[in-house]
Amino acid sequence: MRFLDISRGAGSVTPNFKPSEQASRPTSVHRRLLSYLLAPLLLLLVAGVAVDHHVIVSPIHNAFDHSLSRSALAIVARIHPGAGGKLDVALPSHPPPPLRAMPDEHFFYRVSLPDGTTIAGSPELPVAPDSQSEDGFSYTNINFRAEDFRLASYRTSETGEPLVVTVAETPARRDRAVHRLDVAFLINDTLQMAAVLIIALVGIRIALRPLQRLSRQIAGRPAVALNQLPTEGVPTEVLPLVVSLNSLLGRVRDSVLSQQHFLANAAHQLRTPLTGLKAQLEVLTRETADTPLQERIKLLQGGVDRLAHTANQLLTLARAEPSAHRASHFTAVDLPRLIGEVIDSSLDRALAHGIDLGADSQPVQVTGVYWLLHEVLNNLIDNAIRHTPAGGNITIRCGVEHGRPFLEVDDSGVGIAPEERQKVRERFYRSAGSSADGCGLGLAIVDEVSRVHGAQLSILDGSSGRGARMRIDFPAVA
Amino acid sequence: MRILLVEDDSLVSDAISRGLIGSGYVVDAVGDAESVTSRLADTHYDLAIVDLGLPGEDGLSLVRRLRRSGSSLPLLIVTARDGLDDRINALDLGADDYLVKPFALPELAARCRALIRRATAAAANEIVIGGLRIDLAGRRALNEKGEALELTRREWSILECLAHHSGRVVSKERLTQAITGWSEDISGNAIEVHVSRLRSKLGSSATVRGIRGLGYRLEDA
Repeated sequence: MRFLDISRGAGSVTPNFKPSEQASRPTSVHRRLLSYLLAPLLLLLVAGVAVDHHVIVSPIHNAFDHSLSRSALAIVARIHPGAGGKLDVALPSHPPPPLRAMPDEHFFYRVSLPDGTTIAGSPELPVAPDSQSEDGFSYTNINFRAEDFRLASYRTSETGEPLVVTVAETPARRDRAVHRLDVAFLINDTLQMAAVLIIALVGIRIALRPLQRLSRQIAGRPAVALNQLPTEGVPTEVLPLVVSLNSLLGRVRDSVLSQQHFLANAAHQLRTPLTGLKAQLEVLTRETADTPLQERIKLLQGGVDRLAHTANQLLTLARAEPSAHRASHFTAVDLPRLIGEVIDSSLDRALAHGIDLGADSQPVQVTGVYWLLHEVLNNLIDNAIRHTPAGGNITIRCGVEHGRPFLEVDDSGVGIAPEERQKVRERFYRSAGSSADGCGLGLAIVDEVSRVHGAQLSILDGSSGRGARMRIDFPAVA
Repeated sequence: MRILLVEDDSLVSDAISRGLIGSGYVVDAVGDAESVTSRLADTHYDLAIVDLGLPGEDGLSLVRRLRRSGSSLPLLIVTARDGLDDRINALDLGADDYLVKPFALPELAARCRALIRRATAAAANEIVIGGLRIDLAGRRALNEKGEALELTRREWSILECLAHHSGRVVSKERLTQAITGWSEDISGNAIEVHVSRLRSKLGSSATVRGIRGLGYRLEDA
């Protein structure tokens, strides 16, 4: 139970997010899913293209090898036994299509005997080792005249004696075919992957919608709302989160209620005897008029007054904490009416100090806790009266500026030095020249209550050039 | 004037009794709500001061009980609770005024005076402020020498409105409403003129104080 725990912001319901550089960047489920998906998808893409390449390369090579073998057969067809048992290879100067090389290709052939004797063609062309295949063809890759070649040797005895017909072509055409297919596969696979990724992202977005709805719901609540979040329509994955949030909210509400109960009791227990003491001393003053006791009773009275004031301020401060407010406490507060009421109750004190207390109010309403705003204005006027000499004036203003409602107390008193303006908001801070009757909680209360209302307290120079102007800027009306 | 004080704390009860007796009232103090009924049955009181935090039946329930039984006794609530809910509750239930502890005795005495004055005004149709005697039924005001003041219809309306809320600031808007009918329209300046004439006619019997930006307050001279 924390009643006089006045450490700043303690028990605050609104979490204080301080963006610090060291803190890691907030992780996004989106980004994480994307990064977890992207690497495997890329691997899959590479693997897919490799598999496709592998699958296609051997049929293409077979097809081209087949066409190369046709060249060998075409050469065999032109071998005729010549005179003297010599074989004659009659290749015309313009070879038939199977033997014709493309402009950027080279084609070589060699007709040889099994013992290596060249009958026709390029004698340096090597012969593919015999693969014992049924059709008599064997294939190999070679490097010939500083170029890569695909080589096919055909072992045959069609012309009477065994012959080896070897043909070689540059593999540019087959390479081009494989390359084109590879590119086609790459484009195709990439498009598929991209489609999968987009579908996944859209799916994630749709699946995350309940979470976004939940976060909007939480963000849209007033900071002081402690009622439960709805559980219907919440997906099973998110339900545990909502349930534990609700149980947390329930616990916070319980502790807020018990704190309020405690504060109400504490207030009663403190205020009743203080009232008795105060009243008894007042009666005593009257009864001991013109006796030496008067002076001591006056001292006692001063002490009891100070004690009562401090107890009051502490209770107000404790009750001003955000955790002490349910949303239902926030109502529309008419500032001109509030000013009228507070001036009404402070007027006699101002007049007793010889101060002209007045108002300059434009019609404006804010959403707030009425008694807290009452307490704030009371404190500000109280401060102004204490720091304004006789003959001075205090003006309370309210209105709207740049769309934001404001409330200010402007006095012609001693003012607050710029270097003290931050310190005076601290609890129990009392400036060097301040009189003894303040407890140093007035501006702390004003500051705290301003924050509860999402408003800012500014301490400015008085508009008359002297004194101080305490201004509260409320959030813009929606 | 007889006041019934319902307060269980003897320190407070004793001090309030002594203070109010010193101000010229007769005070009967009781410590719980149950004994109020018998007191009211055989004595006439002009005002009851009720503490909300009583043992047994609490103050709010006493206020409710008194109002239900048809009592029009002016009720001043004193309490240590400062929440707006409690205040609204008490006033809704029929309390006439509300004072939060700790208060100063003169403040309590002033509230008592105002409540009794309001009740008497309703009964006797007369309000007395300082040397000024306002006869509400006869629609006339007498100064401290007993002479009737010659007031215009509007000056009378302003005085009547201020007198009903004496000691409190009455806004210019409210005074405007008090002196104009539905169809009439009147400027803030006109109010100032009427008030300044009224002020001079009141002389030394009472004063009308102007509050910058707010309105006027009728005070004892």
